[in-house]
Amino acid sequence: MLLLIFNISLYAQDGYKLSGKVSDEGKLPIPGANVSIAKTTNGVVTDFDGNFQLEVKRGDVLQFSYLGYVKKSITITNQKTLNVVMVENESQLDEVVVVGYGSRKKSDITGAVSSIKAEEINAFPLADAAQALQGRAAGVVVQSNNGGEPGAPIAIKIRGNTSIGASSSPLIVVDGFVGATMPQASDIQSIEVLKDASATAIYGSRGSNGVVMVTTKKGRNGKLTVEMNSTYATQNTANRIDLLNADDFATYQNRIITNGGGGTPYIQGSANTDWQDLIYRSGSTANHQLSFSGGSDKMNFYASGNYFKQDGIIINSDFEKATFLTNIDAQVTDKLKLGLNLFGSRSIKNGVATQSNGSVSGGGDDVITLAMRMAPDQPIRVADGSFSTNDKIGDEVDNPYAVATERLDNTKTDNFRANFYANYDIIEGLAFKTTFGLSNENRTRGIFLPSTLIKSGSGGGRATIENYRNSNILSENYLTYKKEIGKGDLTLLAGYSYQKNVTERFSAGATGFLSDSFSFYNLGNGATYLQPSSSLSEWEILSQFGRANYDYDDKYLVTATVRRDGASNFAANNKYAIFPSGAIGWKVSKEDFLKDSETISNLKLRASYGVTGNPSIAPYQSLASYSSIYASSNGQTVNTITPYQPANPDLKWESSYQTNFGVDLGLLSNKVTLSLDYYNIDTKDLILENTGLPQTLGYLNDKILANLGQINNRGFEITLNTRNITNTNFSWTTDFNLSTNKNKVVKLVKDIDLFDNAAPSYMSGTISNTSILRVGEEVGLFWGYEYKGVYQGGALPTGTLTLPGGVAGDPLFADTDGNTKLEAADKTIIGNPNADYTFGITNNFSYKNFDLNIFFQGSQGGDIFNMTNVQLFNGDSNTTQDFFNSAWTPTNTDTNTPRVGNNSNREISSRFVEDGSYIRLKNIAIGYNFPSKVIESLGVENLRLTVSAQNLLTFTKYSGLDPEVNYFGRSGDNSRSANTVQGFDFGNYPTVRSVNISLNLKF
Amino acid sequence: MKTYKYLILALVGLSIAGCSNLEEEPVGLLSPEGFFSTPKDIQTAVNATYGHMINEQFWGRKQTIALMLRSDMVDLASTETERMEMNNLTTLTDNKMIDNFWPRSFQAIAACNEAIAGAEHVNVADAVKNPITAQAHFIRAFMYFHLVRQFGAVPYMDSPAIPASATISRAPAAQVYDKIIADLEYAVTWLPNTTTSRAIPSKAAAHSYLALVYLTMSGNTDNAVLLAKAFSEAKHVIDNKGLYNLDLDGDFQNLFNANKIDASKEPIFALDYNNFEGADNGYDQLAPMTGIRGDDRNQGGGWSVAVPALKVYTTWDANDYRRAVSMSDGASINGTLVPYTNFTISGHKFAKNRPYIAKYDRYPGAFARINARATSHNYSMIRYAEVLLIAAEASITTNNALARTYINEVRARARKGGATQKGGIAVTVGANALPADLTGTVTVADVLEERRLELAFEGIRWYDIVRRKMGGAPYNVFGASGLEGAKAGFTADDYLLPILANEITRNPNLLPQNPGY
Repeated sequence: MLLLIFNISLYAQDGYKLSGKVSDEGKLPIPGANVSIAKTTNGVVTDFDGNFQLEVKRGDVLQFSYLGYVKKSITITNQKTLNVVMVENESQLDEVVVVGYGSRKKSDITGAVSSIKAEEINAFPLADAAQALQGRAAGVVVQSNNGGEPGAPIAIKIRGNTSIGASSSPLIVVDGFVGATMPQASDIQSIEVLKDASATAIYGSRGSNGVVMVTTKKGRNGKLTVEMNSTYATQNTANRIDLLNADDFATYQNRIITNGGGGTPYIQGSANTDWQDLIYRSGSTANHQLSFSGGSDKMNFYASGNYFKQDGIIINSDFEKATFLTNIDAQVTDKLKLGLNLFGSRSIKNGVATQSNGSVSGGGDDVITLAMRMAPDQPIRVADGSFSTNDKIGDEVDNPYAVATERLDNTKTDNFRANFYANYDIIEGLAFKTTFGLSNENRTRGIFLPSTLIKSGSGGGRATIENYRNSNILSENYLTYKKEIGKGDLTLLAGYSYQKNVTERFSAGATGFLSDSFSFYNLGNGATYLQPSSSLSEWEILSQFGRANYDYDDKYLVTATVRRDGASNFAANNKYAIFPSGAIGWKVSKEDFLKDSETISNLKLRASYGVTGNPSIAPYQSLASYSSIYASSNGQTVNTITPYQPANPDLKWESSYQTNFGVDLGLLSNKVTLSLDYYNIDTKDLILENTGLPQTLGYLNDKILANLGQINNRGFEITLNTRNITNTNFSWTTDFNLSTNKNKVVKLVKDIDLFDNAAPSYMSGTISNTSILRVGEEVGLFWGYEYKGVYQGGALPTGTLTLPGGVAGDPLFADTDGNTKLEAADKTIIGNPNADYTFGITNNFSYKNFDLNIFFQGSQGGDIFNMTNVQLFNGDSNTTQDFFNSAWTPTNTDTNTPRVGNNSNREISSRFVEDGSYIRLKNIAIGYNFPSKVIESLGVENLRLTVSAQNLLTFTKYSGLDPEVNYFGRSGDNSRSANTVQGFDFGNYPTVRSVNISLNLKF
Repeated sequence: MKTYKYLILALVGLSIAGCSNLEEEPVGLLSPEGFFSTPKDIQTAVNATYGHMINEQFWGRKQTIALMLRSDMVDLASTETERMEMNNLTTLTDNKMIDNFWPRSFQAIAACNEAIAGAEHVNVADAVKNPITAQAHFIRAFMYFHLVRQFGAVPYMDSPAIPASATISRAPAAQVYDKIIADLEYAVTWLPNTTTSRAIPSKAAAHSYLALVYLTMSGNTDNAVLLAKAFSEAKHVIDNKGLYNLDLDGDFQNLFNANKIDASKEPIFALDYNNFEGADNGYDQLAPMTGIRGDDRNQGGGWSVAVPALKVYTTWDANDYRRAVSMSDGASINGTLVPYTNFTISGHKFAKNRPYIAKYDRYPGAFARINARATSHNYSMIRYAEVLLIAAEASITTNNALARTYINEVRARARKGGATQKGGIAVTVGANALPADLTGTVTVADVLEERRLELAFEGIRWYDIVRRKMGGAPYNVFGASGLEGAKAGFTADDYLLPILANEITRNPNLLPQNPGY
């Protein structure tokens, strides 16, 4: 207080009013720039025309700052007016980077953080903003869970799989809301990916998979801006499988019959149907966004509405989504700032089943594989008007056209999120922030199989409807204290957080309807009701967290972080967890010996170490429980209870111990910037099924969990940005990133191999294990027989075997254990789906009003297991032209392909392992900004037209539809499969090739 | 003043954060603590055992099909490894069928143990609760009787699992039999003479199983003491059939007709399916597993998996009504009525030109899924005819005339004929002279043959083969002259299944493995 009075008295003595204007190099005013007097709290923000007025006195140092511009300081001598030109910050080093509970200058970051800016996010239209991270951030792998399927979930993995049984997906934080859904890409200002423990430990038990920090757009002080974006795209399959036509197919079937010892010849059907042609079409997407933003000294806002619509490349599949976002910030008093973020969305997905887990018998709901399997000599409908099925040659499954057109699968998702904050500056340097938010997701999925499909499972159709509702309440309170101590800068953060999450589900179903017209909206009409289910699951997490940043002399940086989490879902004996981390940084380039270097403009060394957790324990998972099961008693359906699992009070979260070393280098005035990071993550206490618990104990849940595993991930990340040419008329920049990740299974339960099965469940009788976890090896290697070529008859080549009863033309497998009997012990590791490295390279060119963006993305060294071919080469389906032509026959013996109808019984072998490396031209876009003359005559501020194409070219040796595969097998897309079942292709929805035209209008 | 306002704001924020003890209070989940307080709670726990038994992993498919395929009465039409291993008696230690019914059996046993232990917390008179608990004893005996016949020595769990249970060793078969007998005797003491449903065990069920247990223990040693016990238990049931409301059904077909079985007096203990597709595969699939491909009945016909060898049909007297009931030698396939010699008209690669099993797909009653899955069948686990045959077998040396009477009672019923179907069309088979009464001395082989036909495809034949060691002389059921021709894989070791290798890894105390695996 005294200080304040003293200050005022000084003003009274020498102060005068200074007016000025802040503009950029192009003489355009900069509204909203900060103008402050050093070492005081006095300051103003420039208005809409860049003007400001401020009481100053001689000797004051005025500081000008604005995001993206170089800070400027001017000492007041006696000026009455001041015109300040601010220079755009080319080095980007002074960009502000959002970190947990705050932000830091990029140059002061000690951890491993990647930033993706709005331009990159919006380089081409995206259904899900998460896709923007693909190829854009080193160490981040992004993959659709189902290729180009409209509305397919997008999986993000940061620095490899940090778990086996728990999720490896990062925590998403949107504008401070922990665990939020992604907003629309066009509403995002920036995305920061926090990768190392120093950056993520502030999120404690949820930090080990990395954190994706999303910041949405805010209004800027100044004129009201209205922006309109419209995009149209057409989409097509990039690729189809070359299958047999009806005549060849009949020949093929007859050859199988002959090879099988003869019998009734195949009766060829009358049709010649190209099933792929029937289910694929030309798809389209449209995206329209309208936003308006603006603000004054006291208040700013951003509001946006977005509509996205996609017609999938498979008939009857579409997705639409409407999104609304509003951000309001109000400077209520000098000290108090209030704000509110509102987000709402609705999406509707009409899906066709693809890549299904095969739980429908015979895999009869999977349109893409059915289109490949289905006999081409069958018509769509048979004589009596009903749909043809594939029962002539294999399982009685519906034809793909019938499934695509008749089966309904409709998902409606509503999202709502509101987050309120208040920020109060208590005294100089000390601020208190409280946030209170809630979010709600409500999802309803209905599936209806009309009676026209045999897989309706019952006469009269089969309908199910399920509802999922998830709500989150989040309250966070924290203090931030900033203090300069001599040459040092100290920033302290301490806070407190509470979050509660509630999930409710219910589902019901019925079969045997009077009419197919009810869809899933009249379950009561069903003749038989399926067992309904409902559940409630809640968790709470209560946390304290703190962070200290100390920068000395702008050379030496130290960061220390700690978070203590207590969670309801943690087991009784381990309710609280503490996650510490520390990091140091040294800005070598600020040292005297480099300060004046012409070559090295920036050099920073970073090192960090810390512990983070994975919230791997589901609610109630550690409690002893009964399960209710259905029983029939006395002709009545009754519910009963049976032991489900014993209590597990010692279960703990999984912990990652991560070390990170990094170098940031800038050369030639930062024309070239290079970041290198090396990391080593030891994830311990992995929760695995304890195979020590025998089935004789009689628990229904034989997956009793314990903290028994350990894996390691190590890798390098390189990010290189160069500004190759910067002329007034022409510029060229290149952004390149590359990352390697090597993972290793270190410890398993008793170090016994663990297996996973990526075969659809209808193949369960013959295929057991396809993927292995073995100590010392990478995660999720392919497991099966080693294929040794074709048996030519006579004596078996040394060390090889056929399946029992093998004859010439059958596949040979390695007799790994040398006991001349083909059995489980002969199976071995036959492939590795983990890529050696992934990379992305973007070149941006601009010439006058034109700009060109070329973005390649790729993956090198990962194998793909072509499970599609396991089905197609099995005889009970159509097959590929290639297999038909190259198959062994007595006259075509010089081949590596076994005879048709061979004695292989869908064996998993290296025959189906292929190199999955690819380089893909992800995006090529040409943009044109209309010249000012045109714009002015239209009365708009900016008008931009972009033509772009995605996935135009793919370079790969892979023979399937698409090398970006993600089939999870019978268990479907659960956490375990997502970690361990990798690189499998089974009727993958192909990534689509699209051509876009977009219009951006600002006024 | 203003500052206070913000302090209040801060406090509000903090108070929202400060109100949790992080205890989990699961709603909608059942916790074992404090569950048992009334007799109804015991019954709820007991009912779980019925849920486990009807599961697809146990009677609904896996165990039943495995038992069928291992025997000489049912051959395999599919090529799935797990089934081929059963049919060819080349079972490996990772067989996926065992991996289903082994855990499911122990889940049912755990449910019994939970009920028995839970009953101790229920404070009511023994006369009220013991009849309920006795059901759990009966089911535990029933489950262990299956296990001991399949695996020999098995771990015996007689209480809810504790950590030490994870290292339990296998109890010798003799010890397991002692426990089975003790449980069944408890059941005899406390179960009522009759129950509202044959799916709830009665005193008669306990006596009947005691008879079968003693007969099984006697095996092919013809141990006089055990046979006497078997005879006495069976005879008790026969002599008190009025008291227990039991008798042979007049029409053999009724036993396999889901619409008529509820009224039948013949089942003694049954598993009752209820046209309901329970979660976690809580339903039966025996009709499609044994059914004909392309059959016009049952919404999609069968899957042609478990199909008897042709000899089963051709060696069965054509005039024996039981053959007409037990097998389908004609069917309507895709609208064409064909004899079995043309069943492959369906074009399916697993279709066979052989008569199929008809006990399950002919009258499944209402069913919840196509192919007659989730039917309304009541599957008899033991029925009055079997008790007659147990009594006959047990009295061959002691009272052969009585044995003849019992066996002829079963044959007499077969002569009555009845109302059945052929190719989906109703037919009535009149009474006839066959199978004629046996005359002279009845032999063990006679009884076994009668059991083979009377109880065909009911999951019983394999156990007869095991207890009488019928793979060897004089029966040689797996020899070249056997019904399925030579099963080259057969050795005496095949009378027992292997303990799964995975289970031994989990609990090495289960070693040694059964011989031959």
